[in-house]
Amino acid sequence: MLQTAFNGFVTGIIVTLPALAITLLFGVLKFPNFAVGAMMTLAAYLVFALNVQLGWPLVVATAVAAVAFGGFLIMVDYLTFKPLRERGSITLMVASLGLGFVLENIARLGYGNTARSFAIELARPFRFLDIRMNREQMIIIGVSTLAMVAMYVLLTRMPIGRAMRAVSDNPALALVRGIESPRIIRWTWFIAGMLLAIGGVLIGMDRALEPPMGSSYLIAVFAAAILGGLGSPLGAFVGALIIGIVSELSTLVIPPNYRIGIPLCVIALILVFRPQGLFGQPYIRK
Amino acid sequence: MSDILTVSGLHAGYGAGDILKGIDAALPEGKIITVIGPNGSGKSTLIKTLAGLLPVRQGEIVLAGARLNEMSAPKRVMAGMSYVPQEYNVFRNLTVLENLQIAREFMSGGRAPKKNGKVIDDELLALFPELPGKFRALAGNLSGGQRQMLAFACALTVEPKVLMLDEPSAGLSPKYMADIFATVQQVNARGVSIFMIEQNATEALRISDTCLVMANGRVRLCAAAGEVLGMQDLHSLYLGDAREQAALV
Repeated sequence: MLQTAFNGFVTGIIVTLPALAITLLFGVLKFPNFAVGAMMTLAAYLVFALNVQLGWPLVVATAVAAVAFGGFLIMVDYLTFKPLRERGSITLMVASLGLGFVLENIARLGYGNTARSFAIELARPFRFLDIRMNREQMIIIGVSTLAMVAMYVLLTRMPIGRAMRAVSDNPALALVRGIESPRIIRWTWFIAGMLLAIGGVLIGMDRALEPPMGSSYLIAVFAAAILGGLGSPLGAFVGALIIGIVSELSTLVIPPNYRIGIPLCVIALILVFRPQGLFGQPYIRK
Repeated sequence: MSDILTVSGLHAGYGAGDILKGIDAALPEGKIITVIGPNGSGKSTLIKTLAGLLPVRQGEIVLAGARLNEMSAPKRVMAGMSYVPQEYNVFRNLTVLENLQIAREFMSGGRAPKKNGKVIDDELLALFPELPGKFRALAGNLSGGQRQMLAFACALTVEPKVLMLDEPSAGLSPKYMADIFATVQQVNARGVSIFMIEQNATEALRISDTCLVMANGRVRLCAAAGEVLGMQDLHSLYLGDAREQAALV
């Protein structure tokens, strides 16, 4: 039970970074980006190229790839979403579905369907309070926690983070408070790109690198963001942990194959009983 | 006295038709101009066009010699036009302090340094005595009057040339209404020119220099505020004359 809860905690904490990326993008751009899974996959393969093919240490490869991928997403936005910005959120959502197919298949084209892994040394797992933890899991917890703290500081203590929250709160008011939205949109993509790249690496460490690795997390990521309240960064964090732990604990009572149904049930329940999520604000139509 | 803001032949609107059909107006430096008129006369469209939230289709907006037509809303703020919208005029999910910080950081284009390390200077804060105790509160949890005061304070952090107010007294209790108009007067005394839309014509005109009466997207009358206040048919000016409206439809 304790071991299962711990495994769920790790799954949840992996989901926090992409859930935060979705919630930031949704807050500023007002559409659900279904390409996040494929984005994580592509970023993970970029890290694989630097780490395994060029022999860079994983930390350096991840840091470089995170910055590069942030820049790449600004370009993707410029080519894909910017021309459609005035068409409304449904159009943007459909475009993101298409973009997801394209990005995932770029990874497939380059590296095929074979599962691969990063060049990291194997280490013996250790035990604490009867829970078996391996080194990858400790790295996942450490890196995610650091990234969440950095995001908290960015969103509450830095002008650009405050501006992102302001645009997500009230875009029209942001304009007359002097906030240039194109600049904020670029920053949001850049930061989301970094989060997704790190998230992709963590998934690759926890399991293996294969083209559907990112999209297999898509439902859990959306469930986490919706449960927490789309647009609420704190919600994304809490939502991800709840989804991870509940999904994993469910395997104690239902066959593990049906675990994927748990996030779907959570989405359905939340949409019926509390559409704004745990930490979100009720949507006010202006 | 020179005009700080001039509007000439302004056309603007939503969709196919124009709502503003050739507005001419001028705001002399250091004065208060109040725009009144019946619902649907184009008052809010006018202020949104001035703020840069709606594009100018024809005509010109000039602030202190600079043409604003092509400037985005944020650029107009940096040029010296501060706008307080009627509703949703604070970031509800941000704290009072964060609202003020954003105003200071972005409305000046990053040029306004903190005064003595403070996000809002004491002289300005003195106009809004209720705010300092609420710095950590979420702006969405303030009362309507407090929100209006916060919106004012945000708009003033960068010492604008013109402050534009869209119905500042709408939905407020009588106590706050008096406070709001007193604050408008105090702000004006600091040298800020004010362009205000108000339904509460009598109160607003008492503190104004000029009154602009709008109807059907045009300026129906432009006169000294005191003169309009003395008119017998003041009510029909801002409520609209039913027969006239019917004839136009």
